[in-house]
Amino acid sequence: MEELILELKKQIIEALNLEDITPDDIDTNAPLFVEGLGLDSIDALELIVLMEKNYGIKLEDPGKSKEIFKSVATMAEYIQKHRTK
Amino acid sequence: MKKITSYCRITDQQVILNGKKLEISFSGDPGSARLTEIYRYLDAKYPKFHKMDNLSKAGFLASEIVLRSLDYDSETPDGSTSVVFANRSASLDDDKRFQETIDPDNYYPSPAVFVYTLPNIVTGEVAIRNKILGETSFFILKDFDAEKIHIFIEWAFSSPGINRVLCGWTEYLDDLCDVLVMMVEKESPEGMDFNTLNINQLY
Repeated sequence: MEELILELKKQIIEALNLEDITPDDIDTNAPLFVEGLGLDSIDALELIVLMEKNYGIKLEDPGKSKEIFKSVATMAEYIQKHRTK
Repeated sequence: MKKITSYCRITDQQVILNGKKLEISFSGDPGSARLTEIYRYLDAKYPKFHKMDNLSKAGFLASEIVLRSLDYDSETPDGSTSVVFANRSASLDDDKRFQETIDPDNYYPSPAVFVYTLPNIVTGEVAIRNKILGETSFFILKDFDAEKIHIFIEWAFSSPGINRVLCGWTEYLDDLCDVLVMMVEKESPEGMDFNTLNINQLY
């Protein structure tokens, strides 16, 4: 799980162009949106693309997104359970 | 009489503020990396910069330099300033990047790249950053044309309550940057006369 969390943090930094931020700067349990990294709605769409591109996960129920993208920890947990690649 | 009270010229080779070259040591090749070097030189502390397309980055940086030179208050909402930019290639630089993400064999269209596939986004970015509430406009011309730019700016001043127009040419395509951003003020004792001759000279 630790390995997946680190990998995910690196992918988020790259996908969202979070320059000047390292994986160590991202609190695994901190909120990704508004607080924490302060991501916005476009970033949310990028995370959906990231999940499909890197892990083969298609999020078909938008209602679940809020829970999945709560933090890096919740994303990693979901990826571990549902990844197809 | 209207005056050009500050201007910034950014090309691949240099950054000029009011005739004076800024001492920025470029280490990388021309292009996006060079824009990041200018950003770091300015110490702008605006993380959203890194998410912008190159056109928005170029317009943002030149605007930042001009507004700082005028001690512009970017914290107070300002309805007396407009933003008017023009260029030749619209958002083609970002359009091409977006096209690369819709490759049928690797089909992952990027939302973050897509949102910049309109040239007028740069005017919005500058307005948001500086709390400018006046009208924003973007025009696409065949080439740099001081006469037409002069007309656009005069038109912006015709809106009620507009005293200043942040304006100019923001061209960026294939790592080639060609930017002139000026502040034109309705009533200022200082600055260059606002006319096509001076706009051409600054370019």
